[in-house]
Amino acid sequence: MKVRVKLHGVFRRGRFKEEIRDYPAGTRVVDVVRELGFSDQLLGTVIINDMHADIEQELKDGDCLMLLPLLDGG
Amino acid sequence: MKILTTDPAREPRKIFYKRAVVDLKSGAVTYEDVPCRNLEDVLGGFGRSFQDLAARHITRAYCDENPLIVNTGLLTGSRAMTGMRTYFSGYSPIKAPQKGAPTAIWSAASGKFGAKFKWTGLDELVFENRAEKPVYVVIREGRSGPLVEIKSAEHLRGLFTHDKIMRLQKEYADAHFAAIGPAGENWEEVLMGAIACSTENQLRSGEDKSRFAGRGGMGSLMGYKNVLALVAQSKDKLAAPSDEVKRVNLNVIKGGGSLRLQPVNRGGGGGTWGAYDVMQPFHAVPVNNFRPQGNDLPEKLFRENVEKDYHIKSEACFRCGITCHNNIHERNADGSAGRFLAKFDYEPLNLLGTNLGIHDAGQAAALIHLCDNFGMDAISLGVTLSYLLSYNARHPEKPLLNGATFGDFPKIKELVERTGRGQYPEIGQGSMRLAQSTGEPAYAYQVKGLELAAYQPETNPGYAWAIAGGHMSMGTYGMLIREGKTDLDSWVQAITDDKLQIVGFDMIGLCKFFDIAKGIGTEMVRTCLRSEHGLEVSAADLRTAVRRAFLRGLVLELRQGYTREEYTLPAEMFDDPNPHLKVPRIGTREFFQELSERVWAVFEEELDEFLQEVGAAE
Repeated sequence: MKVRVKLHGVFRRGRFKEEIRDYPAGTRVVDVVRELGFSDQLLGTVIINDMHADIEQELKDGDCLMLLPLLDGG
Repeated sequence: MKILTTDPAREPRKIFYKRAVVDLKSGAVTYEDVPCRNLEDVLGGFGRSFQDLAARHITRAYCDENPLIVNTGLLTGSRAMTGMRTYFSGYSPIKAPQKGAPTAIWSAASGKFGAKFKWTGLDELVFENRAEKPVYVVIREGRSGPLVEIKSAEHLRGLFTHDKIMRLQKEYADAHFAAIGPAGENWEEVLMGAIACSTENQLRSGEDKSRFAGRGGMGSLMGYKNVLALVAQSKDKLAAPSDEVKRVNLNVIKGGGSLRLQPVNRGGGGGTWGAYDVMQPFHAVPVNNFRPQGNDLPEKLFRENVEKDYHIKSEACFRCGITCHNNIHERNADGSAGRFLAKFDYEPLNLLGTNLGIHDAGQAAALIHLCDNFGMDAISLGVTLSYLLSYNARHPEKPLLNGATFGDFPKIKELVERTGRGQYPEIGQGSMRLAQSTGEPAYAYQVKGLELAAYQPETNPGYAWAIAGGHMSMGTYGMLIREGKTDLDSWVQAITDDKLQIVGFDMIGLCKFFDIAKGIGTEMVRTCLRSEHGLEVSAADLRTAVRRAFLRGLVLELRQGYTREEYTLPAEMFDDPNPHLKVPRIGTREFFQELSERVWAVFEEELDEFLQEVGAAE
């Protein structure tokens, strides 16, 4: 299945801003996070199709997944 | 501290803190060992100072009866990482209800001043009355305890914060410093004066890298008292940490809580500056007085764009491994760091940059640098400026002051300089008073007289219950964007329980980055208290003490004259919703009304006890 993946902040470093990527059916957000190789401790927000989502959520063909680093502090 | 028990929650009176009271009028200094009343007293910071402030009925901030209390927390100067905090408390010149008296506030700073202060043997310094002529105050380690001396500060008058610090460094070896700038000296015209606390990096490099106690105008109160600077002189007390504390410190760095603040080159999030990248996809980065426009202008100040032209150094506070500072330097031809410009933290960068329509890193750095050197709170200054710019944009035929509008860097720079010199009291008095004078309060982004931090109020109704600055005393600012929380139950629970725990760090002496999400009621803090002081405190007792301190602050606000109606958010948010914000809309009057009723219902059950302690309004 194809998933549009958008990265923000430090997640873009050495990776990409936005890509359409191929994944097998049943892939979860956490699988994408691990595949891309960034710390899930730094992962703050997961958005799927403009809705907040859980890291364990399964992805579907055509989904748009946005991954953002943790927001905290001023 | 003199500690004669292992159980501070049950036997607080067996713990004594060393207090010096300085009568600036007579020059007399008295010292005493004061028994603690409760666990809040033991922990210190505002948990102690607010109890003392509650005992005073102050109707004007600038009066001799309003003390300036300088204190530390139990873990300030300890071997626990981030244990560097100094607290300044008093009745605020800037934060006040529409009708009534100024309210109590505290402000916190890092830098090494707090540790040096603690190492002199003093836990608290209370300034009474005011000096006739400018003075500075030296706290040093004597043979039989701390000594406090008052000295003439004629030679410091009018100097920038950094210049005062560097001048004093020439006179005092092995010392650290806290200083106000010209803004604080012009306390009548500038109510948002900040206090700069020196850092090791600053004293070593000569670059103006102070840390600031900004919120609430404590620098202006210090200026009113005619105290231009403090010197804390003592030997460093740096025994090696115990194995337990070592493990805690390692966990602070590697355990994930501070990972987002670590330098990018260490796999971290690059400090608070990273908030830009996280909020921009939602068009929630404040622009032009908190009116994001749905475009990509904020991206101009993304780190990835700034580092194309500037050299960014990741640096840290003394003995802190978090390394959260992003110090911006000019870049030399060979790629090395040139002249230091400013430190880019999210709040000052946004509120003195993007939110003023300034999208150039060099210009934003210049404004931050000026604000710091004049000694003003970047949040109050930035938000008051953005209000003024917004007013001028709405009234081109009759603008205020120099007629500056969004993005007009030369004119904005002039506003900052003249405000810092006391020549623009319209700005120096803060956005609430400025908006009262124009009759257009709807777009003044303040709550209870204190300017909002750089998080859109549409994303944070919790601002209304913050007792000392929107994001420093109510940790709800990330809930909507980070977690997508839109249900009332979550917000009520957060405001009345979990997220108020953020103020615990302003009692115990630790930086919030120690464990910002969990507060101080944790095993890590318990371990540090046991190892550093031999104290056994449960996580539940710590949380209860923090909650009590918070509620005392809330009751103090009510006693000073705040009405329930003032626990609200800027009207523009409700009445003219911004269509560009890509977040679920919880910023409606209906949502807020119901939230308010439910929050007060929870708090009211506990407020009576504190109302009896604090007393009713006069």
